[in-house]
Amino acid sequence: MSVLDLPRLWRPETHQALFRRILDVAARPGQIADLSDLLDGRPAALAALATFCDNTQTLADLTGGLSASDLAFLDVGTAPVETAGFILASGAGAPAFAPRLGSLDAPEGGATIVVLVDNLTDGSTLTLTGPGIAGRTAVSPSGFAPGWLDARARWCADFPMGVDLVLADPTRVAVLPRTTRIKGA
Amino acid sequence: MHPVDTMGQNRDGAEYGFAFLDEDAKRELRRSIFKAVCIPGHQVAYASREMPIARGFGTGGMQLTLALLGPDDTCKVIDQGADDSVNAANIRNFFALTCPGVTGTLRTEGASVIQTRHRIPELKLRADQILVFQVPYPDPLVVVEPNAAKRRRMHGRADYARLWVKLYEDMVAFDEITISHRYPTRINGHYIIDPSPIPRFDVPKLHQADCLYLFGAGREKRIYAVPPHTDAVPITFNDVAFAVESFRDKTTGKRHVCRRCGADDSFLDEFLDNDGARVFQCSDAAYCDMRLERLEAAK
Repeated sequence: MSVLDLPRLWRPETHQALFRRILDVAARPGQIADLSDLLDGRPAALAALATFCDNTQTLADLTGGLSASDLAFLDVGTAPVETAGFILASGAGAPAFAPRLGSLDAPEGGATIVVLVDNLTDGSTLTLTGPGIAGRTAVSPSGFAPGWLDARARWCADFPMGVDLVLADPTRVAVLPRTTRIKGA
Repeated sequence: MHPVDTMGQNRDGAEYGFAFLDEDAKRELRRSIFKAVCIPGHQVAYASREMPIARGFGTGGMQLTLALLGPDDTCKVIDQGADDSVNAANIRNFFALTCPGVTGTLRTEGASVIQTRHRIPELKLRADQILVFQVPYPDPLVVVEPNAAKRRRMHGRADYARLWVKLYEDMVAFDEITISHRYPTRINGHYIIDPSPIPRFDVPKLHQADCLYLFGAGREKRIYAVPPHTDAVPITFNDVAFAVESFRDKTTGKRHVCRRCGADDSFLDEFLDNDGARVFQCSDAAYCDMRLERLEAAK
């Protein structure tokens, strides 16, 4: 049986391991998944996209940071940010776009936004409550502009519609599902 | 063959990739699971794949488990609490055949992924465990609204008036809510789910749990989730308390205990022994065995 020498990030067993760690923190907002042992130096944001994207999905890369080779491996369609299922964006500035929010009948159509932040643990503290959290917890991303919280609050105002955020620093991810209530510092 | 299919190393030369499903199918399942966790209680539609067993025999649960499993997992499969019934044993054998490296177990505490048909184990599940339910009927509104598009709209609006009327009619006709299993349960104050045919006894375990609950309906092509530490409230009226099975003897008022291990806190199966006498026994076989072992060790 032949085994192709795929870079580690694109191997099925890596996607399975990535998925379990991302699922774990999606079910527990505020917890941080360290993906560094699976990345071979590649960014955690790319790993999150690799876990979920394929040629049935659409991606809008607002950072311009994905290489042609990454896009080829992701094998994902590109789309305007208003219609993309997945969005890769920088957390440094407030978002100036309108993502898909899903519909009342199919709220899962709301976009998954992977937000690049500098560091998940050395910024100002956000207090989180909601499903997946026993009482309250906190996450402290740096490089995550306050404008993001305002935009997210707007997008997620009409539950069940909304967006789900995956915050990614170079090696780690945290998930803020649409149900999480956030109090800024 | 898609190159990724060659990654799994198969026993007996069987031509399966790891975890049977192709990577595209697993990725679609994973996307659906992710959205289901982000929208607790919402039924996410997915492309339920053909499995080598008929729909209605646990294919939804199997697909979830296959999308989750990695070679370092330990997997347990139960059917009405027992590991050794035909459905559970065959699904476990299938995982052993198609997921090399995954360890099978009968012990609840030793499993990282547990697939279940119609029970939640007696032992409290931990944060590092995932319980996967096989779901026959995912939509609690199907008894009051035949049109699927209308049901989706009702769910989105959290419009459950007709479900309440159904419960009220039960009260009028029988003086109690007569739903014994598949008890409609409200998740995080919005969606009402069918928690699969678990007995009422298990419904409170969904509320503010430590573990993640995933529900897969293969025939009906729906995935939904109850994340940990999420409100899961069986719907009832202010003046009608939700009650679980009590297992009290009608004449003596005492709770029946398991005839094997003596447990007085477990869900009991009632049946007739060879002499025609009514007997009670733990439905959760692993729990019963664990108690027996401890009793033996204490001797």
